[in-house]
Amino acid sequence: MERFVIIGAGAAGITAAKTLRAFRPQDVITVLSTDEQVHSRCMLHKFLGHERTAEGINFVPADFFEKNDIYHISGQTVTGIDTAAKTVSYGEGYSVPYDKLLIAAGSAFFIPPIPHFREAPNVFGFRDLSDALKIDAAFAGGKRVFIVGSGLVGLDAASALCRRGAQVTIAEMAPRVMPLQTDGYAASVYQKVFEDHGCRFLLGIGASDAVVDGEGNITEVILSTGEHVPCDFIIMAAGVRPRIQLAQAAGIRAERAIEVDDHLRTSAPDVYAAGDCTGLSGVWPDAMAQGKAAAENMAGVDTVYEKPYPFKNTSNFFGVTMLSVGRLDQTEGADVIVHKTPKEYKKAIVRDGKLTGYLSLGDISNSGLYLHLIKNGVDVSGKLDRIFRLTFADFYGINEKNGEYVYTV
Amino acid sequence: MKRIFIDPAKCDGCKNCTIACMASHADMTPRRGSLDELRQAVYALDLTDPAVQSRNRILSDGQGGYKPIFCRHCDVPDCAGTCMSGALEKNLETGLVEYNEDKCAACYMCVMNCRYGVPAISPDRKRIIKCDFCAHLEEGPACVRACPKKAIEVREV
Repeated sequence: MERFVIIGAGAAGITAAKTLRAFRPQDVITVLSTDEQVHSRCMLHKFLGHERTAEGINFVPADFFEKNDIYHISGQTVTGIDTAAKTVSYGEGYSVPYDKLLIAAGSAFFIPPIPHFREAPNVFGFRDLSDALKIDAAFAGGKRVFIVGSGLVGLDAASALCRRGAQVTIAEMAPRVMPLQTDGYAASVYQKVFEDHGCRFLLGIGASDAVVDGEGNITEVILSTGEHVPCDFIIMAAGVRPRIQLAQAAGIRAERAIEVDDHLRTSAPDVYAAGDCTGLSGVWPDAMAQGKAAAENMAGVDTVYEKPYPFKNTSNFFGVTMLSVGRLDQTEGADVIVHKTPKEYKKAIVRDGKLTGYLSLGDISNSGLYLHLIKNGVDVSGKLDRIFRLTFADFYGINEKNGEYVYTV
Repeated sequence: MKRIFIDPAKCDGCKNCTIACMASHADMTPRRGSLDELRQAVYALDLTDPAVQSRNRILSDGQGGYKPIFCRHCDVPDCAGTCMSGALEKNLETGLVEYNEDKCAACYMCVMNCRYGVPAISPDRKRIIKCDFCAHLEEGPACVRACPKKAIEVREV
């Protein structure tokens, strides 16, 4: 009987636990998590916006651990990994032995070195349920919110708080909102819908200093322009860093992220890593895929993990939906095709007969094949005249044996 | 485990399956509807209502042929494999990829990740539109029963 231990109960950790159980009905599986309860960070805004309870943002059934016979040690922080003795220590002096270990510790929000920001008690991240609970408590004391960063995390927080009547100011260093996923036009559409809901954007502007009260709380943010913006609390959404401290302390190779090979093995024997802490990708689907692949390898099913294609996302704010795939900023020497109607906006970037970027704002139904075309570099040179109307019919094939589809190129 | 098998050579593009799907999932369809009731429901459909959506699509190949696009309830589903809310799950007993509307957070990861472009989004942007194998109909998927050419049929996999 083998003992599997998983650190982390996010997308990668939970998917790994589920996969391990499928392959190993009898073995012992333990999941350790700092979080008290499993939750999807992609739904944190639903919790903060009071649309859903904590149970409502659980992405597994309430009886997941019980039903799958998995030990869940929750609300406990892992304190160390001993790769020689093969144990994981946690909490106040407890430890659990492993035969195979998966580190799926995720990433942590990053606070840039702005004076007072790192020490102030009213500066929060927006990554975990515990962050959302802190923001919820702060919100009871004051509704003027300053958000640093207008990426998906910053806008998630903003949409939730706007819905509750907050006065939100968002500072973004880039000249437009959601700079990684949008172009100028798409950004302007999102900016407007947020402004209509009471948000104020400061674009191309950063926070450079702060005024604090006697307890160190930031009461005013001083912008790079010199302007002072009064606020009750601050949310940091200016990026994340893989959680590598545990691995580093255990002597596992990790510089910016935990190093893994194509089987998601770390430098330590029988220790695997998956999800954000590997630095391979920062999006949910890839974390799930890594959790699955790592678990298969841990269970002895040889699985090569293909490098993910991380430039992809969808967003849905106030009913404005967008799909964004590829490198929209890299247009030099490429053909840029745009389709714009009052209801829709689409953009395709084509280089050497292949799609390298695709943006769709509006009805994004049935558009999943564009990710496949971009990720796999499928030739579309003969189809440029209908680039926005491509469907699977253009690549249609059927596996006669099981009735599934296959791409025919 | 069942799957709707497709023979595109038999499809003549009549779209009876598309209308049947709309009727099966429109609100006025009686639950556990018989074939007769389903036929009646077709005539009660408001085709100008954007909320009347089909889960299948019949696409012309431009050369007189047709390519039916139906959810495959894949063995390794891209949609469920990327769902961040737990709304999409592969049921290992029935083989179906089931969708729980109450859990769905309308993030549309599934729309982006289904390589065959099957999931659609609802006009209110609050859920997805995806084949449920007509779970509410005892006799099975309405599309299959509506196909006059037997281009689609339910088979054991």
